Amino acid sequence: MSLRIFSLLCLIVGSLASPAFGQIAGLSIPSTTSAINSPTPMSQRVVHYGIDAKYDPKTHALDATETLTYHNLTGQPQDTFPFHLYLNGFQPTSTWVREGKREGTRGQDFEKWDPQSYGAEEIKSFEVVDQGDFTRQLQFIHPDDDNKDDKTLVQVHLPKPIPPDGYVQFNIKWHDQFPKTVHRTGWDRDALVAGQWFPKIGVWWHGAWNCHQFHAYTEFFADFGVYDVRITVPQYEVVGGGGLEVSNVNNPDGTKTVTYHGDDIHDFAWTASPHYKDYFDTFQGSMGPVKIRIMMQPAHTAQLERHLRILKATMDRCERWYGAYPYKTITVVDPEHDSPSFGMEYPTFITAGTDWLVPQGLLEEPDYTIEHEFGHQYWYGMVATNEFEDAWMDEGINSYSDLKIMDSVFGPSTSWVNLWGVTSGILGRHRIGYIGVADLDPIARNGWQYAGSFSYGGISYGKTALVLFTLEGVVGEDTMRRAMHTYFMRYRFTHPTKEDFLKTIEEVSGKDLRWYFNQAIYGTEVLDYQVIAVSSVPVEWYKPDLEEKKGVTEYVSNVWIQRKESFVFPIDVEIKFDNGEKVCEHWDGRDRWVRYAYQKKAKVESVEIDPDHKIFLDRNNFNNSFIVEANGTPARKLANYFEFAAQFCAQLLAWWLV
Amino acid sequence: MNRKRNLISSGAEIAGRNRRYVVWFYILNLLFAWWGASGFSTKAHGVLDHSLYADKMLHGFDVSTFLEMLFRPEMGPAQSSTVPATIFAVLFFLASMVLMPGVLLGYSSDHRISKNEFFRACSQNMWRFVRLVLIFLIVAGIVGSILAGIQAALVNAADQTENERLPFFIQLGGWTIIFLMLTAIRVWFDLAQTDVVLRDQGVVRKSVAAGFRMARHNLWRLLGSYVVIALVALAILVAGIWLWHAIVPPSSVFGAFLISQITLLLLLGTRFWQRATAVAFYVRREAEADLGAEKPALVAAV
Repeated sequence: MSLRIFSLLCLIVGSLASPAFGQIAGLSIPSTTSAINSPTPMSQRVVHYGIDAKYDPKTHALDATETLTYHNLTGQPQDTFPFHLYLNGFQPTSTWVREGKREGTRGQDFEKWDPQSYGAEEIKSFEVVDQGDFTRQLQFIHPDDDNKDDKTLVQVHLPKPIPPDGYVQFNIKWHDQFPKTVHRTGWDRDALVAGQWFPKIGVWWHGAWNCHQFHAYTEFFADFGVYDVRITVPQYEVVGGGGLEVSNVNNPDGTKTVTYHGDDIHDFAWTASPHYKDYFDTFQGSMGPVKIRIMMQPAHTAQLERHLRILKATMDRCERWYGAYPYKTITVVDPEHDSPSFGMEYPTFITAGTDWLVPQGLLEEPDYTIEHEFGHQYWYGMVATNEFEDAWMDEGINSYSDLKIMDSVFGPSTSWVNLWGVTSGILGRHRIGYIGVADLDPIARNGWQYAGSFSYGGISYGKTALVLFTLEGVVGEDTMRRAMHTYFMRYRFTHPTKEDFLKTIEEVSGKDLRWYFNQAIYGTEVLDYQVIAVSSVPVEWYKPDLEEKKGVTEYVSNVWIQRKESFVFPIDVEIKFDNGEKVCEHWDGRDRWVRYAYQKKAKVESVEIDPDHKIFLDRNNFNNSFIVEANGTPARKLANYFEFAAQFCAQLLAWWLV
Repeated sequence: MNRKRNLISSGAEIAGRNRRYVVWFYILNLLFAWWGASGFSTKAHGVLDHSLYADKMLHGFDVSTFLEMLFRPEMGPAQSSTVPATIFAVLFFLASMVLMPGVLLGYSSDHRISKNEFFRACSQNMWRFVRLVLIFLIVAGIVGSILAGIQAALVNAADQTENERLPFFIQLGGWTIIFLMLTAIRVWFDLAQTDVVLRDQGVVRKSVAAGFRMARHNLWRLLGSYVVIALVALAILVAGIWLWHAIVPPSSVFGAFLISQITLLLLLGTRFWQRATAVAFYVRREAEADLGAEKPALVAAV
């Protein structure tokens, strides 16, 4: 390198560090690894949050300071930084509440505003190291719906831009007022589950800031980094949080300070309650031991084994099927009963949910919840997709994963309900969610732009699971598992797009699946095939003295199959004759209908579309088959149930009134 | 009637002697329910009869398949199934109300009453029973609403505590108290109905008052009898459902029908047992009153 070039380089570097840029010398994101079973960092760390918070359980309020170091890896100078203030969503004029009021969300329809539902995240001071105090320059922004009353996003504009690969440090003081839990975060009785509780910087993604307002049924998106969090609470509180507990020190004033450290995570949640009963165990992961902490409600301690069993079974399958769980801890919180903070995922920290009286066969709680939320450690936690815009990539892929894991643990037809002879698999649950909204929204749609929370649930969870399960029938179960593994290993600790996922499946399967993805992921096409009609007519039908004899008389049989809706999907059809013979046909499904004709000494007994039961997207499974000889027994059975209920109700009415 | 026998066994004896009433009411109950379920049944046959997918409902009860069936447009709106069943349930209640005077007359009689006597009692007392039912609804509605309100407030308060089981047990306790109170009111009006029929009382409020006096003076005895019989009914229901689940194969429609109908017949029988108990009490009390009235006369004769 010549002296001239060296001088030039020095000039460039010098100018980058000059006051025209906001570069601060000596800043970096820690490369610690104490919270992971890896000698080196696993993600490209963009942020380091140092938070010192003091919580007052009497007022459900928190005062804190945050030192946020941001590494500008955007490849260009940055002078504008957006921040989430999620707790401001719990205000009557916020977008979150307006959307909730409009169509209801997760059991909340805001029929009446409860002042206890109020939440706030108020910035007291906002300093940028080396640039000054910007508290008064902060501006609320509302890019999604232009709701000027929404205060869930705030933006700061810096006079000195941060150069590419430079660092900026924000020192923020703020005050949280937690709501009585409306959803996910807040207090219930004397317990707190704190999620989305600190000012959080947006994500620079595909050449722009990706920072959406808080919506009623979408979730979150954040960059990976390191978290060092100190939480001060009264000494009687039992505290749990994400990452590794570093210290737990009693203070002279009757409080204690619990410190957590997290590596390669993108969020931090914690909980405090005087009532938690702590249980510890270990899962031997492929990268090292994982310390399991289960924080149970006193009334639920009898269900500890149940919690542990499903958690370990899930961890085992995720490790074997997708890849290693690299963190040293996983904390499962059993929140206050009836608390809407149940069933939520945060990195290395999940909330379960049960009641003191939950029969084992009722798998909704807690088994399914724990399985689902741990699954999110993979599909959200490590493969950190954009939950605002691609909700299906965390909820949907995770729902598909639920199907596989729950079926493998509890059996395919009993993985959701298995109680007193009443059964159902998770698959059935997803079908119920999907059927009613099948043509309402495409899977690939911004989360908050679905027709409603019912569609968000039915499509992003249900339809995605069914689409992937049906895809398994196209590419094969082994190939699908390899694709999921490849996708996980390739995109863990990154923010993949929908095409990253779809292309991975195509690559691993070696198949062009655009025909399927265009309809199933990007389109609203509905899949419904039906057997229109079946007929078997004697060849010699015209003979007046014809006597039909089984095995002797020859018949012309016709079978009509129709594609009722717009989703084109190749199908197999099995035609069974009354002499036991079976004929299999394959139809590409492109036309609207197809007819198969046979001449045999046998009549058609039954016809079945998709005899191997690999198509789970079909909206109506009842018309997928046709039995020529009607079988009234199932209907009689149900009618008998109905009649029993009707008789019983009539008796009950007469019992009390006469 | 043996005075020393307790009310429950006296009631059982009367109900057993007149079991034809239970059978007739059961047939009525079955027919009305069958008509009420016919809409659902027709639609279920339409969806299931020619489909192999229906097999999931036959060899077990797959709840999601059942829900899928209900969501089919061919099944129509839920009301198209539930409204006919509700209408026929109301019809059964009305039929019970109209025919009950005949039953009470039969229960009070030591011989088998004729059809003419039965239906005459029904026609004579029909509007009286309508008035009694209305008064019962007002009384039970007020008491039930107040108790339900108190229960809700207590449960709400318990919900604020850390004891997770407390709301459940308060709710359970609340329901028990509501059940006992409504049963006590039911005892009162059962006696009033008996009084209306046996005295041929046209002024219903006098029977209501008489029923109230009798129920108040013998509350624990009558309430105890009613509660014991209600517990027997509960045991029958639990045993019936358990047997249905334990011994009937999922695909056996006939087995399920048999067990369910025996359960319902016995359940209906327990309500008639309660009625017979009220009649036994009423008749015994009247006999005692007559005896008491005769004694002074006898003394006077001496």
